[in-house]
Parts: sequence; C-alpha cells; structure tokens
Amino acid sequence: TIRPQTYSNVADNSGARESMRIRVPGASNRQYASIGDMIVAVVREAVPNMPPKGSEVVRAVIARTRKGLNRDNGMAIRFDDNAAVAIDREGNPKGTRVFGPVARESRECHFAKTVSSAPEVLRGIRRNRMMLR
Amino acid sequence: MRLEKCWFCSSTIYPGHGMMYVRNDAKIFRFCRSKCHKNFKMKRNPRKVKWTKIYRKLHGKELPQDTTFELERKRNRPERYDRNVVEDTVKAMKKISETRVEREAQFWKNRMRGKKTQQRREDLAELQQGIHLVKAPTALLEEPSLTLPKEKMKVKVSVEQESKAMES
Repeated sequence: TIRPQTYSNVADNSGARESMRIRVPGASNRQYASIGDMIVAVVREAVPNMPPKGSEVVRAVIARTRKGLNRDNGMAIRFDDNAAVAIDREGNPKGTRVFGPVARESRECHFAKTVSSAPEVLRGIRRNRMMLR
Repeated sequence: MRLEKCWFCSSTIYPGHGMMYVRNDAKIFRFCRSKCHKNFKMKRNPRKVKWTKIYRKLHGKELPQDTTFELERKRNRPERYDRNVVEDTVKAMKKISETRVEREAQFWKNRMRGKKTQQRREDLAELQQGIHLVKAPTALLEEPSLTLPKEKMKVKVSVEQESKAMES
C-alpha cells in the first residue's frame, strides 16, 4: 500500500529515480494506493539532464509494492521494493523501458500495451518486463 | 493450476497456501508457509537447515536420486491434450508414488541397518560405567541375577569406595 509521502522507485527510464506519492486522483481522501493504481507523485530524485526535474509533479502507475497482492488463486505475491512507472495524463508511459518485474494487475490499458511492445529487452539479470501470471 | 515446490523446504505448495516473493531481478521464490519465508529473510541457507528436504538429501538421510522423481520434473513445454495420455498419467502417478514410498522405506531401512546392534553396544558400555547409578553396590553383590537380565557382564564395584564417598 502506498500512502501519501511514500517514496517509491521509478521503474522506467523516464529520467526520474525516486518519486514521492502525493495523491491518488479521483477520490478526495483516498489513503491507499496499490499495484495498478495511478498516483500523482512528485519527483524527488532524477537522473541529471533529463526532463523530469526534482520537484516536478508527475503521474505514475504503481508497478510493484512490498505489500504485494493477493491473487484469486490464493497465492500472495510480494515484491522487493515499491516502484512506479511514470505516465502522462492519458496513461501512456513516459519512458521507453520498464525495469524489473511488473505485476499483471497494472491495469492501465495504455500502459500494458506499450510495455508489451517495448523495444529493448534486457535479458539476463534484469528483464524489461515480466508479466506475472 | 500448478503445484509448486517451496523454495526453502521443498514441500508442495497447494493452491491457497503460501506466498510468492519476486525479487527485482525477476527471480521468484515460493514459500509454503511463513516459517520458510522467515528463514529466507534471515538469509539462511536451506542446505544447512536440518529440517529441509535439501539438507536431508544432501546428507544422505533421504533417497537422493531416483527414477520415481522424474515424473515430477518440471516440463515447460505444454502438451497437447490427449485423453488417453491424461488417463495413463493419472494411473502412473498413483503407481509411482506407491513405488517411491516403498523405495524410501527401503532406503530408511538400509540407513538404519546395524543401528540396533550399535545401540546395544552403547547401552552395554553405559551400563558398565554407570551401574552404580542404577543399583546399590550391595545388591549387586548379593544377587547378581537381579541386575542384568540378559547380558552377563562383569561389573566391578568396590563397596568401600562407595561408602567413603557417601560419608564425605
């Protein structure tokens, strides 16, 4: 669960490294955001010389949480960190690559589509995307 | 639906049980219960933890390699559904698990062979050393048949030493 002020890694190459969650858009006082939810976050740490600067407000989809998910088949999934992928208002990802495993529950349609057709895949240690069934 | 194996203890994880941890390098660890998960978090090596299957196989406590394990090997290629194949597989599963149980029992038997005689020997030695804990020395002297029913053993007991020890 991502609460306000939660820092999460940014799991793509949009230029931000770490973001801090401000809100969940769409509900007035929604406290918790989980995998698949869109959040509004502020970029806290960014790769130098790239578009998102520190303290720029950005939208993101949560890709991984330490709290994880509970699947319908009873399996509980936990990730190693909290991570989000930066998107724009329509839901298209800002970066071109996604790092690390991603749960299928990242429900944003645009997000899923672009991620599946992502150009580069880093095989070996880090995989571009892994849809967990 | 797939029955997975716990990463730590190698037991089967049935649906509805356990937990899956995904590391950022996309490696998946499945655990059957929180005990295994907690051990994993403690960074314990399952090969050194005595109650895990891996340890037992590694240290020769259980049947390490056998053809009966072949059936459970993970196959990543999906097979085209064939009714007869399914039927045969179900039958085979039953038969193979029976055979495996037998073989494991045999393995255990072989492992424990000679244990009884060794135990006996050890018990005898212990009796020899510590018979004074069991029977009063005077009783031994009076009725030697009282003490050790099956084995005939010469037990050296010095009565003077015992009484001296008790006095002091």
